[in-house]
Amino acid sequence: MMELLRMEAHEIAAAVRAGKLSAREVLEATLEHIASVDGIPGSIGDDPEAEPDKIHAFITLTAERARAQADAVDAKIVAGEDPGPLAGVPFTVKDIFVVEGTPSTAGSRILANYIGPYTATPVERMEAAGGVMLGKVNLDEFTFGSSSESSAFKPTPRNPWDTSRVPGGSSGGSAAAVAAGEGWLSLGTDTAGSIRQPAAFCGVVGLKPTYGRVSRYGLIAFGSSLDTPGPIARSVRDAALMLHVIAGRDPHDATSAAAPVPEYLAALEKDVRGLRVGLSPDYFRIVRAEGGELVEEPLPAEIKQAVLDTAERLANMGVEIVEDVPMPHNRYGIPAYFVIARVEAASNLHRYDGVKYGYRTPDRVADMREMYRKSRGQGFGLQPKLRILMGMYVSAAQYSERYYQRALQVRTLIRRDFEAVFDPEGKYRLDALLTPTTPTAAFPMGAVYGDSVLMQYADQLTVAANHAGVPGISVPVTTDADGLPLGVQLLGRDFDEATLLRLARAVEEGAAFTAKV
Amino acid sequence: MEYEAIIGLETHIQLNTETKIFCNCKADSWGEPPNTNICPVCTGQPGVLPVLNKAVAEKAVLLATAMHAEVRRVSYFDRKNYFYPDLPKGYQITQFDRPIAIGGYLDLPMPEGYTRRVYIIKLHIEEDAGKTKHANGYRLIDFNRCGVPLIEMVTGPDLRSADEAAQYLIRLRQLVRWLGISEGNMEKAHIRCDANVSIRPKGADYLNPKTEIKNVNSIDAVREAIATEIQRQIREVEAGREIHAWTLEWDEDAGVLRKMRSKETEADYRYFREPDLLPLVIDDEWKSQILADFPELPLERRARFMAQYGLPEYDADILTTERALSDYYEAALQAYNGDPKRVSNWVINEVLRLLNERGLSADQLKVTPQYLAMIIRLVDKGTVNTSTGKALVVKVEDTGKPPKQIVEEEGLAQVSDTGALRAICEKIVAANPDEVEKYRGGKTSLIGWFVGQVMRETRGKANPKEVQKILRELLG
Repeated sequence: MMELLRMEAHEIAAAVRAGKLSAREVLEATLEHIASVDGIPGSIGDDPEAEPDKIHAFITLTAERARAQADAVDAKIVAGEDPGPLAGVPFTVKDIFVVEGTPSTAGSRILANYIGPYTATPVERMEAAGGVMLGKVNLDEFTFGSSSESSAFKPTPRNPWDTSRVPGGSSGGSAAAVAAGEGWLSLGTDTAGSIRQPAAFCGVVGLKPTYGRVSRYGLIAFGSSLDTPGPIARSVRDAALMLHVIAGRDPHDATSAAAPVPEYLAALEKDVRGLRVGLSPDYFRIVRAEGGELVEEPLPAEIKQAVLDTAERLANMGVEIVEDVPMPHNRYGIPAYFVIARVEAASNLHRYDGVKYGYRTPDRVADMREMYRKSRGQGFGLQPKLRILMGMYVSAAQYSERYYQRALQVRTLIRRDFEAVFDPEGKYRLDALLTPTTPTAAFPMGAVYGDSVLMQYADQLTVAANHAGVPGISVPVTTDADGLPLGVQLLGRDFDEATLLRLARAVEEGAAFTAKV
Repeated sequence: MEYEAIIGLETHIQLNTETKIFCNCKADSWGEPPNTNICPVCTGQPGVLPVLNKAVAEKAVLLATAMHAEVRRVSYFDRKNYFYPDLPKGYQITQFDRPIAIGGYLDLPMPEGYTRRVYIIKLHIEEDAGKTKHANGYRLIDFNRCGVPLIEMVTGPDLRSADEAAQYLIRLRQLVRWLGISEGNMEKAHIRCDANVSIRPKGADYLNPKTEIKNVNSIDAVREAIATEIQRQIREVEAGREIHAWTLEWDEDAGVLRKMRSKETEADYRYFREPDLLPLVIDDEWKSQILADFPELPLERRARFMAQYGLPEYDADILTTERALSDYYEAALQAYNGDPKRVSNWVINEVLRLLNERGLSADQLKVTPQYLAMIIRLVDKGTVNTSTGKALVVKVEDTGKPPKQIVEEEGLAQVSDTGALRAICEKIVAANPDEVEKYRGGKTSLIGWFVGQVMRETRGKANPKEVQKILRELLG
């Protein structure tokens, strides 16, 4: 069975399409594996410390639905039809996507009883391509966090490399599931690094596509101008396979782009010789505000070394490495993000009011206002409340100029940093930037959670790509002294995921990294 | 002291698009059971996104152009955040600081003879909310109306009386129907109006605190509510009291204004750009497509009818109430190729009556402008008499047959043959000796009764002038 689980998704699909494996047998093997490693699923009010050696990736396992899908794939094979490029590949979905007929909780008490009335576009596309959805995996509440510990559904996911550590977040359940062999692919979302950071922590590949590349229809919104759905997979090839399925214009999403979707798998075959990859000193330090002062901290040596080693291997493959590329506004990414994402989040959370669906207070209430207050007060956890408070504050008429409008200006400056270095006529003419994905490896559970500001500075290396809308990918390259995986990040040009994947494939090929499964 | 009223209106115009502004639900749910014309998008389910219905932008461009407003090449959508149960997303998608059009004006010819020019501050696109109903201690919500497309148009403080405000709505309703962008039916709340009212000593150049009257949804209600509020403010000021910036609600049944809330502090809606929609770009190409068939506007056409055809203002005004009617008139006039006033009389008297009785619009008539012209010609030539001509209008509408065919089939042609008429007249005179005696005794008004008898005998076809001449001869 482990042999089957160690195959790649594109190999599974090829075997199913060739009739060498049935979708049903792939599924049953996967379900059996999940039963042995995952433990109890997350649920409201359960013990956070329960089964500390299990992964706990799932909130909802939809085994019967998956069996029906697998059987439908097999029936197509029998009928001589092609089930599609994901034929029989089991995948999981971060529980921030609405899927018809399944609980779609956002990891929050306020949506714990919400059953989706329609299916998110990327999920629909994966299912239409023959993918088999295993169920919904855990995450930070409404994706607000970097460790998955803020979910109202306990126990929260644990890192398959060391279950005393977090899997990262907010797509922690997705990364943990893929790393532990609970499905080959997972659909995650990235608002400031929420695909790339957990991918790095769990030793898997995480791709944040260009904003607009993948439809957001059905993604329960956090920061609408930053949220990007994307693949988490065990290999670059599998990420490319999945991106090709979910990418492209969606009439349900006005911000989805009409740009053509290239054959990403074919792009991987191309040589990387002659591509230009930059290294920036602004990605080798963390700058944060402390008591009104800007404090600059270098990254741990191991982290920096992983990037330099990767650069050297790329150079050996014929990639031109460009050093000292300035990204001067990267340091303002987090403060600008604090403001923009919170303004959007506070507004996006308005609809959870106890009126139409979701949690409504069981208490007796005097009037409508009290019903709102109690439903929201009891339904939301700490992280949404913090975001609502700050979002309301900085978008108030008297403060909007000072905070929100200024943050938008900062965002423009960050975008210009990227435009300058990717400009084909410019000084640097880069095809990609190579950076660390995270300033640390996976941290112990309970270690940083609660210190919300510090935790979010951990996103400083990833958030700029969300501000700018450019694509980014995290690829595992090595393990640290504790045996925990470390990832490097490649950031690329708008809608040029093909080049990014090509470089990522080269990074993956050269790295001495072995997957957990 | 003499006072003048300062009035500004905010109107919401419901557009007659096929589908809602951001989803594929039908725009019109009139008469449908609650919560039957809804989908995940317009009920604000988690994860949904709005997609702009382009027809909404197109209709807004038509209205903006008709109001002489400046259509912006790039405008933006914003979120207006507030909590209310019938607002499912907890925010309304609207346009705030960069609306689709700014500026512009509408001229109101007043019955008194002067023209009031009302300036438009801005015109923007937004979505409607649902409806809340209170029943048996419950608050019931109908989401059918969520996402119905609206244009909000805000005037300057340019109106000076309740009558002018009413006239603004009359002209606006005419215009939106003329442009085909809204049914403009106020009973169905296709045009809703909030009025801002203040008073000041006549001739003063400052503005006093204003009150806002909400939910006035008929032209009469607007006139009455504003007139009532002006009188109230005058009474307050005369009594030495201050006017407070209240929001008032017009109770149409009771004919009174009720205070809804004090409005000393403005609510903060925390507007920000809607990240789920792209900026709305109306480039020259799209704009010229939208305006390709832009019609002559009602006031322009009204003026032209007076100048070109020499019609009285009264006729020109009636003929231009509806675009279809004015088109009908011009087509009939062209086919008739004669006196414009004569055609106007037929349209205003006969055609308009038919339209009102049958609830039709002029472009739906089977009595086409060409048929009407033929009927008037038949009367002119004496082929039929006037009352037969009027009856023909109805008969053509009922059957769709050409007027001449009906005249032939039903033998409606006027009898002017003196010999035949004389025989009938002689018969009537012989059959009514009592009336003949009275007539000859001096009651000459009986001539009308005799004519009537002859007309009845000929089933209305006799030439009445000829009949009278013969009768006078026989009786005289």
